[in-house]
Amino acid sequence: MRRSILLGVVGIALIVLATAPWFASASLIQFGISTLLLATLAQSWNIIGGYAGYASFGNSVFYGLGSYGTAIAMVQWHLPFGVGLALGAALAVIFAVMIGVPVLRLRGHYFAICTLALAEVMIAIVSNLDVAGGNTGLVLPLLRGDALFYELSLGLLVVTTLVVLWIAHSRFGFGLMAIRENEQAAAVMGVDTTLYKVLAFALSGVFAAIAGGIHAYWITFLDPVSAFDIGLNVKMIIMSVFGGPGSILGPVVGAFLLSGVSELLSTEISTLAALFFGVVIVVAVVFMPRGLADVGRRFRQLGWRYFAENVRTHRV
Amino acid sequence: MSLLWQVLLNGVLLGGLYALMALGLALVWGVLNIVNLAHGAFIMLGAYVCYYAFTGLSIDPFAALPLAMLVLFAFGYLLQRYLLNLVIRAPMFNTLLITFGIDVILTYLAQIAFSADFRTINPSYAGDNFALWGATVPLVRLLAFAIALALTLAMWLFLSRTRLGRAIRATAQNLIAARLYGVEPRNTYALTFGLGAALAGVAGGLYGVVSQVNPYIGTSLTAKSFAIAVIGGLDSPLGVIVGGLFLGIVESLTSLYLGPTYADVASFGILVLVLIVRPTGILGRTA
Repeated sequence: MRRSILLGVVGIALIVLATAPWFASASLIQFGISTLLLATLAQSWNIIGGYAGYASFGNSVFYGLGSYGTAIAMVQWHLPFGVGLALGAALAVIFAVMIGVPVLRLRGHYFAICTLALAEVMIAIVSNLDVAGGNTGLVLPLLRGDALFYELSLGLLVVTTLVVLWIAHSRFGFGLMAIRENEQAAAVMGVDTTLYKVLAFALSGVFAAIAGGIHAYWITFLDPVSAFDIGLNVKMIIMSVFGGPGSILGPVVGAFLLSGVSELLSTEISTLAALFFGVVIVVAVVFMPRGLADVGRRFRQLGWRYFAENVRTHRV
Repeated sequence: MSLLWQVLLNGVLLGGLYALMALGLALVWGVLNIVNLAHGAFIMLGAYVCYYAFTGLSIDPFAALPLAMLVLFAFGYLLQRYLLNLVIRAPMFNTLLITFGIDVILTYLAQIAFSADFRTINPSYAGDNFALWGATVPLVRLLAFAIALALTLAMWLFLSRTRLGRAIRATAQNLIAARLYGVEPRNTYALTFGLGAALAGVAGGLYGVVSQVNPYIGTSLTAKSFAIAVIGGLDSPLGVIVGGLFLGIVESLTSLYLGPTYADVASFGILVLVLIVRPTGILGRTA
């Protein structure tokens, strides 16, 4: 019963979203593109951070690789957009495997900060590459048509979510969750932990890279600092965590809600929006560390005590 | 040869400051098991305290260091007492995330309050230097180095010799046993975090004298502090000195031979390498 209601709501939301270019204003569609791309990032982070439990603070690297892969293919080699996206995705996979094999051996703090450091390093490296235009960046050919980019972004989000849906019900996904709960036990039970983690990292990277490629062609300009923007990690992590890491729709709902509020705030003062994300992180970690998905499940039993309960179990 | 000597000297002077930066992070990490991602933002705040004390009240930046220490100590104490103590027993990811949130808040508040411009603390003697066996030693850098070393040693003595220092170390080793011996964890945690923030505050003031400051310097300083803590281990402040000097020298050598843009690449590359080869740190305790 609840399942069919949920499916109905998701179906209606999808129809409204897909037909939006025919009735929504131009600025709303532009807001829609960036929100859909952010939701894709939150959802792709969910694969490695939510399901496998490896809190990557450097997924912005994949986004940047996707942007630059697409831009280099189109500007330097005059290849079509689709080939550029594929190149970006391929770069992300190569990076995920090369870096993932050593780095995914690290746990906890070490993994998190290592990925954060990688994100910083990539900015410096790309700034020194001639093919990437160095510090000044690259300018892509202009393609008018926000509706096209909007539908592309929506399609990407749907595909990413379907992959997460598959993960949640597959042997692969159960392996990842086992790794998250207890990696040694998972290994003993026959999960090839290295293979699973690297696959999850690469899968997470592919979708982030395609999102980056779409964004680059839409914006038509990119430079190292904006393409590898560390702030993107803040956004994708908090959207995923706020919505519910390790759930199928949580990160998408979190992304829509937080993007909406931050957009409203940024029309007032732009720095307020960034500040808002920080405040949401702090409040969410204290009062609802398992995200909206968990609040939805347990709030009905516990009421407002749910939030007090969360604080009581973790305080000293 | 004299160029290499000069670069090594620069690296050592920089390394002392790095050690002081990492000391607070290592202390908080070792005792509270919180990797404070806002540590770099604390350093940034300390730098601004000294900057405004110098430009607004014309207090000498070195004389303003105790002020930066005091301000940041109070800030850190309150933050731990009334916020971080609420999540201290949560999974590692939650404490990491909440300090990440604090970092974002501090960075953007700083941007609103201080603007995004680069600031330098420029006392009249900023350009003074003297020669040492053919190399130039900038006076402020030498002072910063000396203060950093002195504070690191003082910290070591404090932790090993005083009653409060022993209480802090006891809490780090075994919370339950420490409680049975009368250590009150809420206050001890807050004091420890306050001390960590105070050290960041001093490091920030010194950083502001020898380098440029803007609201966004935090992230890379956090990552550097983390790298040093990993290299040196969390057991003793002396390990942090070794880690800081190592990183300072490596960065100076990279700037000379590969170019200054690669200095950060080198330090983070070393971090990644160290973690891969020996995830518990070069001098750190074995897991």
